[in-house]
Amino acid sequence: MSLKFYRRVAFGLSLKDKQDKDPLNWALNQLDTIPDLLWPGTISTEKELRKKYGEWVYGDREVLRKKFKNDKHAYKKAKDELRIKTGERYFELNEHAIRHYQTKYSKQPVFERFWLFWGNHFAISEKDFLAEFSTGPYQREIIRPNMVKTFEEMVQSVTTSWCMIHHLDNSESFGPNSKKGMEWGETINENHARELLELHTVSPNAGYTQEDVIQLAYIMTGWAHKWSRKNLETGDIWFDQEMHQKGDKVVLGIKYKNDAKRELAKVIHDLATHPICIKFVSTKLCRHFITDEPTEEMIKPVIEAWNKSNGKLIEIHKAVIRQAYKYNENTHKFHPPEIWLMQLSRMFDLNIPLSSDKMNYTFKSKPNRKQRQLSWILREIGHSPYRAKQPNGWSDFEVDWVSPELLLRRLWFASVELPILIKSGNRSHDFILACLKNNFEDFENMASLIEQYRFGTLDYDLGRKYGVICNLPGVLKV
Amino acid sequence: MNCTRRNFLIGGSTTLFLSGYFPKISFASMQKKNLIIISLRGGMDGLTAVPVIGDKRLKKLRKKLILEDVLNLNSDFGLHPKLEIFHKLWKKNQAAFVHATNIPYTGRSHFDGQNLMETGAHIPYKEKTGWLGRGLLASNITGKGLAISLPMPLLLRGVPQNNNFFPSPDFVEKNLIDQIYNEFKGEHNELIKSTLDTIRQRPLSMQIATDSDDRKKLALEAAKQLKDQSGPRVAVFDLDGFDTHTAQGGVDGAHADELEEVNKIVTILHENLGQAFDNTLILTLTEFGRTIKQNGGYGTEHGYGSAILMAGGLLKKSQVYTDWPGLKKKELFEGRDLNSTIDSRAIYNSAMSVCFNQDPEFLRKEVFWGDALPDLSQELFKI
Repeated sequence: MSLKFYRRVAFGLSLKDKQDKDPLNWALNQLDTIPDLLWPGTISTEKELRKKYGEWVYGDREVLRKKFKNDKHAYKKAKDELRIKTGERYFELNEHAIRHYQTKYSKQPVFERFWLFWGNHFAISEKDFLAEFSTGPYQREIIRPNMVKTFEEMVQSVTTSWCMIHHLDNSESFGPNSKKGMEWGETINENHARELLELHTVSPNAGYTQEDVIQLAYIMTGWAHKWSRKNLETGDIWFDQEMHQKGDKVVLGIKYKNDAKRELAKVIHDLATHPICIKFVSTKLCRHFITDEPTEEMIKPVIEAWNKSNGKLIEIHKAVIRQAYKYNENTHKFHPPEIWLMQLSRMFDLNIPLSSDKMNYTFKSKPNRKQRQLSWILREIGHSPYRAKQPNGWSDFEVDWVSPELLLRRLWFASVELPILIKSGNRSHDFILACLKNNFEDFENMASLIEQYRFGTLDYDLGRKYGVICNLPGVLKV
Repeated sequence: MNCTRRNFLIGGSTTLFLSGYFPKISFASMQKKNLIIISLRGGMDGLTAVPVIGDKRLKKLRKKLILEDVLNLNSDFGLHPKLEIFHKLWKKNQAAFVHATNIPYTGRSHFDGQNLMETGAHIPYKEKTGWLGRGLLASNITGKGLAISLPMPLLLRGVPQNNNFFPSPDFVEKNLIDQIYNEFKGEHNELIKSTLDTIRQRPLSMQIATDSDDRKKLALEAAKQLKDQSGPRVAVFDLDGFDTHTAQGGVDGAHADELEEVNKIVTILHENLGQAFDNTLILTLTEFGRTIKQNGGYGTEHGYGSAILMAGGLLKKSQVYTDWPGLKKKELFEGRDLNSTIDSRAIYNSAMSVCFNQDPEFLRKEVFWGDALPDLSQELFKI
């Protein structure tokens, strides 16, 4: 078994991590429980952060825009002050720190890889102020606790979460024959229904029609935020019977009797246990951990584990790990920029994220340069995790991550920025050699490529070393 | 409006007869011709960009999305006030529009739609290359594509050694690449290796560090590259945010903000291409239009037919080229969307034939599997 398994299913090994005699069991044993979040700094709840979201949009929309409608400059100034007061510029930075602290220090790094996977499968793309206030806590409070439950339970939680409902406009969807629909002449918004089918569960392979989308949208009408003058769109999610389309609905040939809020759980059950859904999601899991185009043979045991366990995610994850182990030697998988960064951070003990006390925020001035650093790096290497451009999240195909500019960004990061992140005690050549030996079979060849810089300890010399090492084929991919 | 169903697709044959008198390789065709595609992701609303004038039905269905101060194009169509540059160029015969057009995709999914607008195919995710990449390859033009984005768009894939430009905050020493280059062995490393080749062959002007948030600088650099006779012949810009399910608005709404971005890019290209603008075609591309009717959030849903915005000196004249299907309920696609009466791939095929000096018939076969796409070069472009 080659060492690349530790990077295939986790983040490589730090000098404190030990190589295990039985790597497969090492990985399998990490999936039964949810590890605590280790970040010693502030971890706000989704609800607290949604309150901040509300203060920000209310303050801007209902107060400042009215107060300064004739003074553009005063408006801009007041708005900047409101950003500081509500943490609009801060919380995303803190969420990135929580996330990267976890992948760096977690004792269950394999679990953390699945956490990243599901957060991206049920992606929240860049919209309104979700990245600023909501996507981070959504991944902590909606995705994470469901990872030891069933896929169906995960879909239920995601679909009725404030974050996803806001992301895909379900609060704007009215049954045309519902009380409010009739009164206000409103109709459905198909967005959420379409993505529930296409991205979250059965995929277009199920051959659903436009009518199926409409019927599912009918079922979903009523699941909306509770609007109020004070909280605007940031109220809790509830089921508003007065928005709900009356009558029976038919999705993918199955009839759902008029049953108000209970219709949604029934249709999600059918979608989440649909054989095409199981195959679609199993394929995505194999693509993430094994290779871009997994074969039927690779996927089959995952589907079997899914069926046998009735969609229990722990069993599904274990099946994926077994397959990743089985095909470890003969397959290749390119890692997207964020996972690459997380691996470099763990393997070379980089100084990211910033320590929690320095990350502390007083809501009195803009976050400082150091506090912005990790998020800035993520953006510059092309992978700001909460800002996927579309609801299908970040691509898991190599071809989408290899362009001249994206490769240059990695060379730039490793040769210019990374040296600044090396801890003062780790600047010796022996340190990098030890890290290489810990993670790569061909560490001798790797070492020979940087031998010429061995005596240099300036940032510039470190830049030459890490610029080369971090961009070798065996580091960009497993 | 009294615009009814018309047939604009007749009339190519007389000009075709004339063109036979001229030698194929004129001075103009020796000049490098540029093709610039601006992808408008999310579903651009053709009826917001190029609204029909005085259609009572549209007014009724879009009460909250009504446009005021529409710029005048002709008796049937107006132009969104944020598209100023197109209006300016229209007066000089350097802007035109194709309306009620789309790729032959009616599924209303962004992801399938965007995949198909780039591959030009019929089945989502089936093709792994873009129509523009295949067009370049069929015309033996390699290493001449330039994408203004961090990832390489699917649209340009299929031809080796394309470049993209989205500068990093600091210099990268090129000899780093020399040191790692030979380590990329085997078939599974081919893609990265050929991309490293492209980086090594970059012109000096692209080895700069700048703020890549600044669209103006990026468009400016693209113009500089395209102006260069030996530089890229094709450029691809990517804009998103056209998916306005809520608060689409009229003159100042969410859709208007996106059109303003298009306007900005075209303005910079026009200003900085100078003489090269005469040998340039700029075309927009989107996955679908939007529903006629506004939805519950004063936005619109995913629809079908949209419009193509065009600018550049290679346009034949200012015109709204359309086979207008009408907006009555029975004239709409599935009773809800502007229909598409022109397969937009015909426009892209014709544009490639003009810019790459290639037989449209040949390209149609090589790029679009011989699909029935009429040659519109005579009607739309200078040839």
